Amino acid sequence: MAGNLTSVPRKTWQTLSSIKTGVILLIMVVIISAAGTVILQRPVTEADEMQRAYSPQVLRTLDGLGLTDIFHAWWFVALLVMVSLSIVAASIQRFPNSWRYYSRPYKSPDETFRKALATQARIVIKDEDSGLAAAEHVFQRAGLKPERMVRESSFSVFGERNRISELAVYIVHASLLLIFLGGIVDALYGWRGYVAIARGEQSSQLELHNGTIRTLPFAVRCDAVGQDNYADGTPKKWWSNLAVLEDGRVVMRKEIVVNDPLVYHGVRFYQSSFGNTGKVDKIMFTVGPANGPGETREIALAPDETLTLDADTTVRIAEFIPDYVVRDGQVYTRSTQVGDPAVHLVVESKKSGKAVNFWIPPIPGFEQNASSPYKFQATDLQMVHFTGLQVSHEPGQWAVWAGVIVMGLGLGIVFYLVHMRFWAVPVRDAQGRLVLWVGGTANKNKDVFEQRFRKLVQDIESEVKVQSQSCAAAHATSLAGD
Amino acid sequence: MARARVEQQPAATGMTLVVMVGLGVAFLLFMAFLNVVKSGNLLNESNLLYAALIFYAGAGTLYLGFGITGIPSYVRFASLSTWAGVLANTGAIAHRWYEAGHPPFASIYEMLLSFVWTLAVLTLIAEKKYGVKVIGTVTMPLAIVGVVLMQLLRTEVHPLVPALQSTWLHVHVTLAMLAYAACALSFALAMMFLIQDKVRTETFLAATSLFGIATYAGVLTRFEKWGGLSVAAWNPEEKSEVFLAKGVRLFVVIPDLGWLMLLVLAAIATPLFLYLIWRKTGNENSIDIANRAVFVSILLQVLALVFFLLRARDGRYGSLDAEGLFPTSLAASPFILSGLVGGIFVSLLYLLLLWRREDLERMLPSAEELDRITYKTISIAFPLLTLMIAAGAYWANRTWGSYWSWDPKETWAAITWLVYAGYLHMRITRGWRGRRAAYFAILGFAVVMFTFFGVTYLLPGLHAYA
Repeated sequence: MAGNLTSVPRKTWQTLSSIKTGVILLIMVVIISAAGTVILQRPVTEADEMQRAYSPQVLRTLDGLGLTDIFHAWWFVALLVMVSLSIVAASIQRFPNSWRYYSRPYKSPDETFRKALATQARIVIKDEDSGLAAAEHVFQRAGLKPERMVRESSFSVFGERNRISELAVYIVHASLLLIFLGGIVDALYGWRGYVAIARGEQSSQLELHNGTIRTLPFAVRCDAVGQDNYADGTPKKWWSNLAVLEDGRVVMRKEIVVNDPLVYHGVRFYQSSFGNTGKVDKIMFTVGPANGPGETREIALAPDETLTLDADTTVRIAEFIPDYVVRDGQVYTRSTQVGDPAVHLVVESKKSGKAVNFWIPPIPGFEQNASSPYKFQATDLQMVHFTGLQVSHEPGQWAVWAGVIVMGLGLGIVFYLVHMRFWAVPVRDAQGRLVLWVGGTANKNKDVFEQRFRKLVQDIESEVKVQSQSCAAAHATSLAGD
Repeated sequence: MARARVEQQPAATGMTLVVMVGLGVAFLLFMAFLNVVKSGNLLNESNLLYAALIFYAGAGTLYLGFGITGIPSYVRFASLSTWAGVLANTGAIAHRWYEAGHPPFASIYEMLLSFVWTLAVLTLIAEKKYGVKVIGTVTMPLAIVGVVLMQLLRTEVHPLVPALQSTWLHVHVTLAMLAYAACALSFALAMMFLIQDKVRTETFLAATSLFGIATYAGVLTRFEKWGGLSVAAWNPEEKSEVFLAKGVRLFVVIPDLGWLMLLVLAAIATPLFLYLIWRKTGNENSIDIANRAVFVSILLQVLALVFFLLRARDGRYGSLDAEGLFPTSLAASPFILSGLVGGIFVSLLYLLLLWRREDLERMLPSAEELDRITYKTISIAFPLLTLMIAAGAYWANRTWGSYWSWDPKETWAAITWLVYAGYLHMRITRGWRGRRAAYFAILGFAVVMFTFFGVTYLLPGLHAYA
């Protein structure tokens, strides 16, 4: 078919479809990806870690050669595309032959074929018909679907099983291409990002891994989030209750945990982290009158909430300092993490308009705790937690999973289904006796096949014997009847 | 077939070894039993594992005895001992599973538990079904190394971190263990093929030397200035390595051990050097000397192992990255330990080959048969590898939202897959048989070992859990 093409495309085609090219390409993939596991890679490794690991000069060279992000470099992708093309070309090159073999099985073996065949046997028979019938019977029992072949001058029997095995290798190659296709689709149209949503809030904007912001056509709200621990304090489970909102309406709700994401319109939300925002949700206090006995009670205060304690007195949180330190007559916070927390409460009297600063703990110079009509004790602190969500969109993954399943099936057929063919032809041997020539081949697992063949020949032999006996018996009865 | 030939030998009165091994096993079990009676708990995991170790060791000795003497009754008793070991091992796995509430695949300890079990079962299958009787001489020592490593690694049931609570993970790891065990078997078969294929003993000498050089070169990547060897520090209370930051281990330097390792490296490299001289000059003397050098190198290797065991077990050592002295432990350096043990074991196998090659050749199946069984093992391993990668990808997709992120373990799994794919293509389309195929199978297993140990140890990545 390539005969009338000019030599350049033909040469290209031949090179591309040769096993040698395929193997060279695969070796290149192996070497390059091995290099990619040894050299630190950019998107995964932080920039400062890269700088610590390599000297500036080496780093510049590596960056210049594209060796710090091998798996996303255009030339690596190009290499994978070349591998795919090579697989396609090699398959196309070899497929017509296999297809001929598959679609037009060789059913009537001629003399040269019979001579050359490695696995064969001869069984002495009385006449063609009974021999062929015996073979047919045994083939049938072995699940070989025998066919009686009729030529001008000869009859023979052909049986086979698992012919599909001849094409299985194309199934495997096709599945590999399907997986590549899925990967390419995801590389082009897929994205991954991250969003952190504080409890009670919603968001439709994600930060993608390349740093850009993506806005989704819907929003996700975090209704609750938490962490369950084992008895020894190590985390057992992170969970969040998510709600998907479209035009302000909730269209979906789900509690997600680490191995169980929320999926909406092909966008998947994975639980990836959990933490607190450094903001206070609520602080719990025990309150009691400052002087004299009186009932103490529990109250909970949110940062922007004013609580009425009695007809005259109210209290609110003026400040929450997560990790306080006093310096130069000022109260500062060392960090946003809760370390040494301090709360500044303001207790106000409506009548007198007097406001008292109540500090827990009492910081000298700031607290006026003694003049407050109520005493407060902080008992508990609830922070606002956020849920960290990995978000990904992988439209090609279905091709990948389909490819994986097809590949599993294909490999199963390639390795474990043996294409076996058997022929039975009545011929005259060198001594002029009438014999049934039986031959067989298998495309793999030849040693097991040999045993199977011998068993089959034995079966035909005994079948021939039974037939001739019953034939003789029938003959005898017919004689007696005369 | 092999057996019939063996039985033609003059009837050997080789019960001595069987009796000795039997007595040894009984004695060790009895001692263990006395201890157990004191503590009151008979059938727990560590006792079962200990019993498995004893039985595997007995089996290993008997297989080795069979390898050397060719007395068939050894194999019978070796199989029996292996069966007993598998039973105890199964019990240990079941106990672990029951205690932890999840199949035992979460940590490297649990994976070793499963790996050793698979290896022992495959040994029995190879022996019963394919008649490869001496395979136990290769696989049983591997199993023993595995169990010894397990004794050193942490054994408490650790609760699973959230990312690991998935059925798919168990599927992934089970498939990995099965695939790797099949690869190990194909490697052993390929080696036996090379023996039957009349590869010269001198070539095995060079290979042994090369393996030793690679092992000790690997160990010596930890060589520090002034002859120390840096090993991970160990926190005995928490039974874990000491971390400076997330994923950054603290290393301490054991002084002088580096020099010893360097000396062993030189001793191990000597046979290769002499082999090269022999290739060049054809002087048979140098091979004689090389064989003696192997013997010397074994002694030195044992010395290095003993020193390493002693130094790593007690004492506190300084670190280059932090102030103060820190303890270390054998459990902190499982890979160095297995490297040292593996080196000794490979050298011993070479001596076995050197002294008993004719017996080995008589006892092994024919070269063609070994070639065929190697291929069959790989045709089992390859689909398992494929499914293992697929299950891992599916799990990663459920956990991190990405089925393939090119982390080192993934990439090396893919490389392993490609190497075996190359083997299959060469065999099927190019008709590669025999020696070239065997070398390919050996290469494949080397890559498997690197993926399993090397990547975890040398390259960073997401697979930090193992």
